[in-house]
Amino acid sequence: MSKLVGAPLLVGAVAYTPNVVPIWEGIREYFDDPSTTMDFVLFSNYGRLVDALQAGMIDIAWNTNLAYARAVLQTDGHVRALAMRDTDAKFSTVFLAAAESGWSGPGDIATRRLALGSADSAHAAILPLHYLRAAGVDVDHMHIQRFNSDIGKHGDTGRSELDAIDAVLAGDADVAAIGITVWENIGRGDLMPGMLEPVWQTETYSHCMFTALDTLPESVYAPWVAKLLAMDWEVPAHRRILELEGLTQWVEPHLEGYDGLFAAIAEQGVDSRW
Amino acid sequence: MVVMALMRIVEQMAEGDTAEFSVASASELDLVRRWCEKTGNTLVNTLMVEQDTGQVTIGRGRPRNPGSMIPADRMPGARLWLYTNFHCNLACDYCCVASSPKTDPRLLGIDNILALVAEAADWGVRSLYLTGGEPFLLPDIDVIVRACVDRLPTTLLTNGMLFRGQGLRKLQAMPREGFALQISVDSPTAEVHDSHRGAGSWKRALSGIRIALDEGFTVRVAATISANDDPALDELHALFDGLGIPRSDQVIRPIARQGVAEEGVAFARESLIPEVTVTAKGVYWHPVAALDENALVSRQILPLTPSLDRVSDLFAQQWSSVTAASAMFACA
Repeated sequence: MSKLVGAPLLVGAVAYTPNVVPIWEGIREYFDDPSTTMDFVLFSNYGRLVDALQAGMIDIAWNTNLAYARAVLQTDGHVRALAMRDTDAKFSTVFLAAAESGWSGPGDIATRRLALGSADSAHAAILPLHYLRAAGVDVDHMHIQRFNSDIGKHGDTGRSELDAIDAVLAGDADVAAIGITVWENIGRGDLMPGMLEPVWQTETYSHCMFTALDTLPESVYAPWVAKLLAMDWEVPAHRRILELEGLTQWVEPHLEGYDGLFAAIAEQGVDSRW
Repeated sequence: MVVMALMRIVEQMAEGDTAEFSVASASELDLVRRWCEKTGNTLVNTLMVEQDTGQVTIGRGRPRNPGSMIPADRMPGARLWLYTNFHCNLACDYCCVASSPKTDPRLLGIDNILALVAEAADWGVRSLYLTGGEPFLLPDIDVIVRACVDRLPTTLLTNGMLFRGQGLRKLQAMPREGFALQISVDSPTAEVHDSHRGAGSWKRALSGIRIALDEGFTVRVAATISANDDPALDELHALFDGLGIPRSDQVIRPIARQGVAEEGVAFARESLIPEVTVTAKGVYWHPVAALDENALVSRQILPLTPSLDRVSDLFAQQWSSVTAASAMFACA
């Protein structure tokens, strides 16, 4: 695929919250330069986003980890990972229980009622089971309660994770698996003292990724990626965008961080086209 | 469950949007404040209906650069408020400084005012606001006004009820250029206004507005609205329109929970853009908090420059502390 000269690069993303609009308007403004001009298109779900990338409707997709993996699988690997957030390179899943449970590690989780987020959330559903299995837990015989609150959004809303936490707080589940960002945003227990405690935390893995097809010319994506990586936390105008998007620095792809997810998809038979 | 509820509400908002959230205790209010600080969101204001329960307004994201959000004439240090006195011919039930006929006058005095205004003008203050109490109870209010207007544009807040006899002569002696009167009218008919301010006060305020207009003064009107009253805003604007007062000179604001007010919008220093305020007892952060020890900047009213500098510095620190907080929902 080649782009028309002067046409803006089109970046696709998913509208999982109204805040996505000011985020992308800010990013578009940052790229307002003849060599990197861009526009954005918002989709209602990641299935449509990945379809649009393959159909050439957009040049770059801002994918979750599952959407990245699906793009790889659906194109037989003919994609190019471009850049990710520093926070994407060290994502993890936290398992929470009610305070003073006394539980610690996957062995204690194995016999408990586990609350998971939306089925298409890698961090709150797919990877928790993968890492438990890797730790020797017989996940096929666990008591699992799923909260499919934001299917299509790959857990971006955080809603299904809050539902899972609520289940623990209500006594309807013993342990909830949530992404590290939600754990941080509820204060890591500091703001809800005496209510929740972490039981276990997975190793770090990679989360979101700017993804292009490998047919996108380097002359098109390289200036854009270079400018993206040049965003500087110390520049107030840049910092606003970085804060809104939840990072301090854009970084080169950490592809090794997807190994667990590809393995999980194979283990669990995750559908490749949500 | 406050944090969980906040997470769910804010997730539905875009940057700059606001939403109301109920709090049922002081500790819940504190938790909202801490959560906002931690997640880079904003506690815009607090409306406590009873002592420990009420509504807070949450804004998603951080405030923008103050220069891009605050008009130049509202930036800290642009305005200087002078409480000329605290006694008043009225005893309004929501008065933020608890003024009444029995209140200790706490006169600022012409000598202090002259010194304050001179220093303020040199520092960069752009406009003066004289308030009380009722300034027209001062025998030298016309002298005070002329001295202020000689240096800076000045607005005098009054209930407009004393434009008779000596009061009228003092009014007539005031300059028309660089000067405005701001007269309080809280409702389109007498009932609500009089219920807060006293029988007959609405009619006399309206009469005062007409007198001031006839005398050639610029008149602004200010309505203080209670959450418990029907604001009847359309009728109120129609009344003011009918008096020939432009919409830009029609100020409508909520009751501030200060002084003798038992309801109203609760402010903290951190939630108020400062408007430096001088009383006989000290320099304060904002005129709605001129009795609030938490809003006290300095007991020393002269020289004024250190207080103006301090308020500017504190505001800069306050703004940067909010903007330094991290953003929430690090998602795709």
